[in-house]
Amino acid sequence: MGKNKKKKEFVITLCDGTACIHNGSKEIKSGIEKQLEKHGISESVRIILSGCLGMCDKGPVLIVNPGYTIYGRVTEKDIPEIIESHIIGGKAVSRLVIDEDHLYNRFFRVFGDVGFFGRQMRITLRNCGIIDPENIDDYISLRGYEAIAKVLSDMKPGEVIEEVKHSGLRGRGGAGFPTGLKWEFTAGQKSDEKYVICNADEGDPGAFMDRSAIEGDPHTVIEGMIIGGYAVGSSKGIIYIRAEYPLAIKRLEKAIKDSRRNGFLGENIFGSDFSFDIEIRLGAGAFVCGEETALIHSIEGSRGMPRPRPPYPSVNGLFGKPTLINNVETWANIPVIILDGADWFRKVGTEKSKGTKVFALAGKVKNTGLVEVPMGTTLREIIFDIGGGIENGKKFKAVQTGGPSGGCLPEKYLDTPIDYESLAKAGSIMGSGGMIVIDEDSCMVGIAKFFLEFTQNESCGKCTPCREGTKRMLEILTRITEGKGEEGDVEKLERLGNLIKKASLCGLGQSAPNPVLSTILNFREEYEEHIKDKKCRAGECRSLIGYEINSKCVGCGACKRVCPVGAISGTPKNPHFIDKAKCVKCGQCYEVCKFGAIDKK
Amino acid sequence: MVKPLDIIRKKRAEAINRIVGKGYLSTKRVYVGMATCEIAAGSKKVMEVFKEAVNKGLTDVYLSQKGCAGRCNLEPTVEVIEEGKIPVKYGKINEERAREIIEKHLKGGKTIEEWIIK
Amino acid sequence: MEKKTIAIYINDKPYRVEPEQTIMQAADKLGFHIPRLCYHPKLSIEGACRVCIVQVEGVKNYVASCAYPVSDGMKIHTNTQEIRRARRDIVELILDNHPEDCHTCERDGNCELQRLAYSMGIRKRHFEGEKKNYDKDLSSPAVVRDPDKCILCGRCVRICSEIQKVNALRQAYRGFKTVVMPAYNMPFTESVCTTCGQCINVCPTASFVEKNYTQELFEKLSDKSLIKVAQVAPSVRAAIGEAFGIPPGTAKEKETAAALKRMGFDYVFDTQFSADLTIMEEASEFLERLQGKGKLPMITSCSSAWMKCMEQFYPDLIDNISTCKSPMSMMGSLLKTYFPEKIKTAPGKIFSVAVMCCTAKKYEAQRPELKINGLNGVDIVVTTREAAWMIKSAGIDFLNIKGEEFDHPLGLSSGAGAIFGTTGGVMEAAIRTAYELYTGETLLDIEVNDLRGLKGIKEGKLVMDGKEVRVAVAHGLGNACDLLDIVRKEPDKYHFIEIMGCPGGCVGGGGQPYADANSIPLDEDCLRLRAKALYDLDRSRTIRRSHENPDIQRVYKEFLGRPLSEISHKILHTHYSKKEPKGIIPRGLVRAR
Repeated sequence: MGKNKKKKEFVITLCDGTACIHNGSKEIKSGIEKQLEKHGISESVRIILSGCLGMCDKGPVLIVNPGYTIYGRVTEKDIPEIIESHIIGGKAVSRLVIDEDHLYNRFFRVFGDVGFFGRQMRITLRNCGIIDPENIDDYISLRGYEAIAKVLSDMKPGEVIEEVKHSGLRGRGGAGFPTGLKWEFTAGQKSDEKYVICNADEGDPGAFMDRSAIEGDPHTVIEGMIIGGYAVGSSKGIIYIRAEYPLAIKRLEKAIKDSRRNGFLGENIFGSDFSFDIEIRLGAGAFVCGEETALIHSIEGSRGMPRPRPPYPSVNGLFGKPTLINNVETWANIPVIILDGADWFRKVGTEKSKGTKVFALAGKVKNTGLVEVPMGTTLREIIFDIGGGIENGKKFKAVQTGGPSGGCLPEKYLDTPIDYESLAKAGSIMGSGGMIVIDEDSCMVGIAKFFLEFTQNESCGKCTPCREGTKRMLEILTRITEGKGEEGDVEKLERLGNLIKKASLCGLGQSAPNPVLSTILNFREEYEEHIKDKKCRAGECRSLIGYEINSKCVGCGACKRVCPVGAISGTPKNPHFIDKAKCVKCGQCYEVCKFGAIDKK
Repeated sequence: MVKPLDIIRKKRAEAINRIVGKGYLSTKRVYVGMATCEIAAGSKKVMEVFKEAVNKGLTDVYLSQKGCAGRCNLEPTVEVIEEGKIPVKYGKINEERAREIIEKHLKGGKTIEEWIIK
Repeated sequence: MEKKTIAIYINDKPYRVEPEQTIMQAADKLGFHIPRLCYHPKLSIEGACRVCIVQVEGVKNYVASCAYPVSDGMKIHTNTQEIRRARRDIVELILDNHPEDCHTCERDGNCELQRLAYSMGIRKRHFEGEKKNYDKDLSSPAVVRDPDKCILCGRCVRICSEIQKVNALRQAYRGFKTVVMPAYNMPFTESVCTTCGQCINVCPTASFVEKNYTQELFEKLSDKSLIKVAQVAPSVRAAIGEAFGIPPGTAKEKETAAALKRMGFDYVFDTQFSADLTIMEEASEFLERLQGKGKLPMITSCSSAWMKCMEQFYPDLIDNISTCKSPMSMMGSLLKTYFPEKIKTAPGKIFSVAVMCCTAKKYEAQRPELKINGLNGVDIVVTTREAAWMIKSAGIDFLNIKGEEFDHPLGLSSGAGAIFGTTGGVMEAAIRTAYELYTGETLLDIEVNDLRGLKGIKEGKLVMDGKEVRVAVAHGLGNACDLLDIVRKEPDKYHFIEIMGCPGGCVGGGGQPYADANSIPLDEDCLRLRAKALYDLDRSRTIRRSHENPDIQRVYKEFLGRPLSEISHKILHTHYSKKEPKGIIPRGLVRAR
């Protein structure tokens, strides 16, 4: 290689999943590092630790890129050979190379060397960023529509359902109901007509998993639905998507058309006697329409309001017919389960939650974006390893999972492996996968208020606890943040919150108090400070802060010039003064001062 | 009846042929992120720059669009893939940077390290 | 075979109950009355109010007992401190967004929310805050909508869409701002509302009430320059007693006449008289149509809400509608023509008041095409409820009053006129007369049991001189729509159809007394008892056929000539026209639940 070697020529991705660690991946990492140092090529090889790569029985696993060579059952002893033969000599060590052809591999061929992506495991988003979503050939070339072909060639509907059940897949819309069971219930209903629905009514603020999935790879969802239709005995699929996603809709429309033209949709798919077609229905952007019964009402042309269950849609759904509803991410898993097998799928994830979950990582974190990781990945891995930690060197305070009705989890939960159960136990929810990182600059009462404001506005207004209760909670939170909180307010919030949680009609109400209850549980002292001391430690609640000029003031006059209400007085080169009676706490003086002479209290 | 699996295998071969026919086996493949988020960040103009370059004779480049890989704060993103090399992912690409990628990387063969997503 | 039962536990005690019912249904039969608000047995399960929540062991959240089915081994708790407090808090949340004006509220004393709040033991408020603040919609001549009092139970929405199939109301907006309104928040009077008033009947509070004319009426009653004349609809006497605590099923005919006279009316006439008149005209019209002059099936036109419903949803059937005015308007016509002539006074001096079981009659009274020589046939319509309140307010002891006869010349009625107030009654009365007019023979078996009772659509047949006449009866606008959908498909299926806009016919009208504390609005047993009161009246009459009513014969002799005469056509018949308010949902798009 010599001295004019190009920098970072190779990337070695080392599986850092639990199984691989158990089998010695840590030792292998230090072994590689030693070898690289020995040969003086540390500079040209980058090592990335990835999340579980789903090849646990062949672990420890490492992948060398470019070339996407996968080595399995690697021991420390094998390291020198790999380095010398492959990295230096350019020749793979064939005795260690394993043949693992999984659908998600392609993504890692392209993106595996980037830390942010390398640590992920892309099953549902496997083609996003890889293929041209508007070209069905791209999808077909990556084994697209092979899953439905396989199903129609070799599998009875019952066998498909067994496979999905065996995979352990659970609904990715939030509640985590076992997908296979849902399929089985729907299949078990006798009816002349059944419906298959894809819930793409992604309404969480800051969530864009479904949009990205559809925009990046619309055919996966369509193929999943065709398989679902075959399994439950339906010939009619509907994708309910919000009208605010025009590009996703356009791509879906094109994908459906292309799919039909290829005979994957429509009458007698692949020449079989199974027929299935899909139409698109647009939602008007009501958050509650993500709830399945509200969604059904919306498709029927009624106001999107949930109704009590039972009966479940699998028995009495769209137009009174048995209906199978899954969300985008759930559907996108199906072709993978069929092609890579439920046995393989089961290996990914935790005991009760199999497979991966997509999160929309946002907030005060360095790397924001879509993160798909195996169930059981810890919050710390997502936020710090993948997300790169908190922006601007601030301190982590909490992470809010599950969208507007999720809970805020403090530092002590960072090492909790994420799955449906563990999040619920910690007082939050999986939800559809929103993940918002909060740093020390954010007021937890304000955060709770922000989310509750959303759910109150989006409540359908049908049931009393959700409609009236969240309003009262919001009023209490508002007065707390305005410095008008009263003794007993926290208890009232808890009383209302627990009532709304247990008495509301649908999931929206049942989870709406989560942001409030979880912040009371984990940050009660902040509430107390607001109420008793009239203080907001994050300095976010305007009514509770004030600005003062300290002795560092040099009298530059910048603050005086910027103050919109003329609350600052002083002569040039002399300390200035803020008239608190006039101050509207806009904070512009604080922003503009170059000398740190303004205190926010 | 022909088995669906045989049908899809045949269709796959045809699909790959069509993709190859469009120049997939070119020395360099360029993918521009064209999801809503990417477009909002300005990727349409970036795409225009690449299209124009291809039209004006930038040979041996296969240009395509892609969805969003999910690296939000670095959008718009552009991938340049060359066989045998680690695919290069550029982040925060605007028209100006796109032109530079065309000149330095696509024509000159030199990656622009500081824009590469790592 | 013995019915299969399952074991459930309520409050730790074991019971055996039938499967496939809800917790609430099972508990009701066992004597546990779980508090409830949005639930109504005739309507779909809403699950909105959450008042009927109970705890079920093994279920994380509370379950709404109105919706949740019982299952074998289920352990239910209806009355723990925890669930009591949860329910109490829910009712408080409703109260916190409800005007605190019980003393001045029309429903004071028979408000379901008020009763509920009392039984929950809410003595203190914990969560008070902003209250909603909307304007009342006073645009309709019949029904007033007051969103401030609405607790969003959705009963009005459901009865309007499920029972009446009019779909005038729906929830709009979200969250705290949710409000029930007509399409596009149009003024009620411009909406598809048929003014049937069933929303008033089922509303647990005073969010829907009739447009109240009692003060105006008191004003007029003290005007000495006017001759104040009342008419009383058949079903008013069947139900008015309930407003004074008398159990349903007792007709208060003469008492009502006496009370109205004491209230200041110069004449109290009987709408049953004009019901007899309607039969004369309608039966004659039917026989004409049967002989090829006009379209069949002929459909009755007594019910004002039904008329508006037809004009909006079935304008293609306008030619099938009898041109007869309703009994109320026929009386109104006589009161502004025949009657002033008879007592030698100017028609303008007559102040004509109708006491009706109905809110839609307020709307009907204002229809311009019903005017008589520029005058309204009926000047004011008050409902049974308003009349009862006026009687109380005027200090008249209704319970102990001695009954009086209706006045002549428009007060005598046959039994056929009485049964107009219940579903099937008009048809039965018409058959009694039409048969005789057609065959020349008196129909002996005059009680037509096929047409009685609360089945949604009833069918009957009679043979007149060898000709088979097929008739059908529907009550409630929803059933009416179902029946007319049949007519659209099979125009020859029936010859004669009776339609009443309200469930049970006029006895279930939108202006009838509110249900008392222990019953539910529009309870079927109550409707049956009210109908029975009218059938009893019919049986107690010696004259049971309209054409035998001597006063009817006299009106024809002195004034009208004969049925369908020129003057009859001028004052007793009318016409209808297509109406197209915004918000009509095409029938095919309405999903029955």
